[in-house]
Amino acid sequence: MDLTLFLQQFLNGLSIGSVYAIFALGYTLIFSILGIINFAHGAVFTLGAYFTYTLMGGAFGFNGLLANAKLPLQLPFTIALILGSAFAGMIGVLIERIAFRPLRYRHSDPLLTVVSSLGVAVAIANIIQYLVGAESYSYPSNIYGDLPAAINFGTVEKTIPIRTVQIVIFGVSIVIVGILTYLINFTKYGKAMQAVAEDATTSNLLGIDTDKYITLTFFVSSCLAGIAGTLVASSLSIKNPYFGLEFGLKGLAVIVLGGLGSIPGTIVGGFVIGLAEAFVPSDFSGYKDAIAFGILFIMLMVRPQGLLGRRFIQKV
Amino acid sequence: MTDFFSNYGFLIVSMMIGAILGLSLYLPLMTGQLSLASPGFYALGGYIAAILSTTVFKPASGSFPVPLLLIEMLCAGIVAGILGIFVGIPALRLRGIYLAIATIAFVEILRVFALNLEITGGAIGIFGIPQPFNSPVEYLWIVLPLLIVSMVILYRLEKIRVGRAFAAIRADELAADAIGINPTVYKVLAFTLGAILAGVVGAISAHFLNTWNARQGTFDASIIYLTSVLIGGSRTFVGAVMGGMVFTALPEILRAMADIHGLPVWLSQFLKDGRLIIFGVLIVLGTIFFPQGLVTPEFLKRFQKGVSINQVTPPSE
Repeated sequence: MDLTLFLQQFLNGLSIGSVYAIFALGYTLIFSILGIINFAHGAVFTLGAYFTYTLMGGAFGFNGLLANAKLPLQLPFTIALILGSAFAGMIGVLIERIAFRPLRYRHSDPLLTVVSSLGVAVAIANIIQYLVGAESYSYPSNIYGDLPAAINFGTVEKTIPIRTVQIVIFGVSIVIVGILTYLINFTKYGKAMQAVAEDATTSNLLGIDTDKYITLTFFVSSCLAGIAGTLVASSLSIKNPYFGLEFGLKGLAVIVLGGLGSIPGTIVGGFVIGLAEAFVPSDFSGYKDAIAFGILFIMLMVRPQGLLGRRFIQKV
Repeated sequence: MTDFFSNYGFLIVSMMIGAILGLSLYLPLMTGQLSLASPGFYALGGYIAAILSTTVFKPASGSFPVPLLLIEMLCAGIVAGILGIFVGIPALRLRGIYLAIATIAFVEILRVFALNLEITGGAIGIFGIPQPFNSPVEYLWIVLPLLIVSMVILYRLEKIRVGRAFAAIRADELAADAIGINPTVYKVLAFTLGAILAGVVGAISAHFLNTWNARQGTFDASIIYLTSVLIGGSRTFVGAVMGGMVFTALPEILRAMADIHGLPVWLSQFLKDGRLIIFGVLIVLGTIFFPQGLVTPEFLKRFQKGVSINQVTPPSE
């Protein structure tokens, strides 16, 4: 493998890895506070992509209930991204109300919550299909304004072109990770969230409104899914209403690899899987989607607590 | 009667297949393990039957001999069982959510291989699988005995030592371990039995559906069968059978409901196209309001008791 190709693949890997990381951080936040995996996360990812598409004034195809509908306004990409993810966040809050809170109040088996979040995922993906059909949608090509389609990282003689989208994705993801780290470690919200994650009952006794922080966590987590969905859709396209569910399964691989509930672990896991996928030889590109699950399966066998996870000791 | 069978033969056989798949998902649940691997083994069994019947066993002319179908079912069961043991032993060291994730990973890996290998026909899959019977309803000769045998086995299983061990592990794995039940052995046993059942049904399904592709064993399929078992009732095999049947027939029921005269257009449209939305909503409502499923052991007992009470003291009027 020559150096140009290597660098290109490396940067591609970093770019997709950073999206995996911010997407999977959404899982991690909810897992660390509730000890539950939110299987609807992938569906919210899809919703985020569709919201942004709609807010940018994109029209829908002729299938589905909203055939040919479009908004009368056309927002620029940045604003659409922020608003779209905020909407996704609100959907997350709604999901918590409908599918998580009733089960939490009944002290149900955590596995039942997994199942009910699966139900939400199925419902959301099919509501999207019912409303706007199953065809693929692409964002307009000029979402980054005057930036060129690719930027040369090499010299004039030996070019290493990298798609601008990849660089934007990487940049945005790093900024998001930075904001999130600050939010969790240095704000009152973050401290309270950590307290709830450590022990919900005690923190409730100490005057922390647990439900409020759980709602907030769902909002932040679903915003992350919405951002990740928009970024992936801007790099490829919105394939169909199910494309988030597949991505959601890969996100599971990321969090298990990094260690459930560990934020640094999730980020490392995202990059490991992103890079591993980028370096799949082109002859075997069909098997690319199996890489994440292969790594996940091996990891579960060898070290179930993940790369940076704490070992789980069962107490009686 | 003939009309009924020619109209609904396909649906009846599909419902039986759904019921057996429900049982295959119920088996690991007997030990309290949420495994989503059944559709993977189902797809595997289907591919084995499809490949064998279109290559090795390809009939020169006429219909496909039934004994060969039985051999295929046997092969599918053996392969699924062996793979079940190999996947089960390492995977079942994991508990709860880790196991569910590991089985999802297993299903996805199988799917990607099915999409890429030449022998499985890639994305198109395998089609023109030879038919052993002339009409769909004749598949009952195979499916109905299989369903009855599996139900009888499960009914007996719940009464004998092995089934008791399953129930003990489900109630409390540590306590079961402490009284001398080896949880790993029984968990792998339950998992492998489920895998074998799924593989055997897959082999029948491949012939029944005439074509087989990577869509047969997907994550979506896992969710649908999981729903049927959980809503039907995950604590008795009757629930799994009922759930599997009802949820396989649900699209047809909804379609029939959509044809009722006098319904607003939007509603009948929704009943036709929004099937999976209704599925999703049912899953959420079911887990909240019926965490044990609709058919619970208490429900069955009350039913039996109700009969005996009526016999002793006839209702006074």
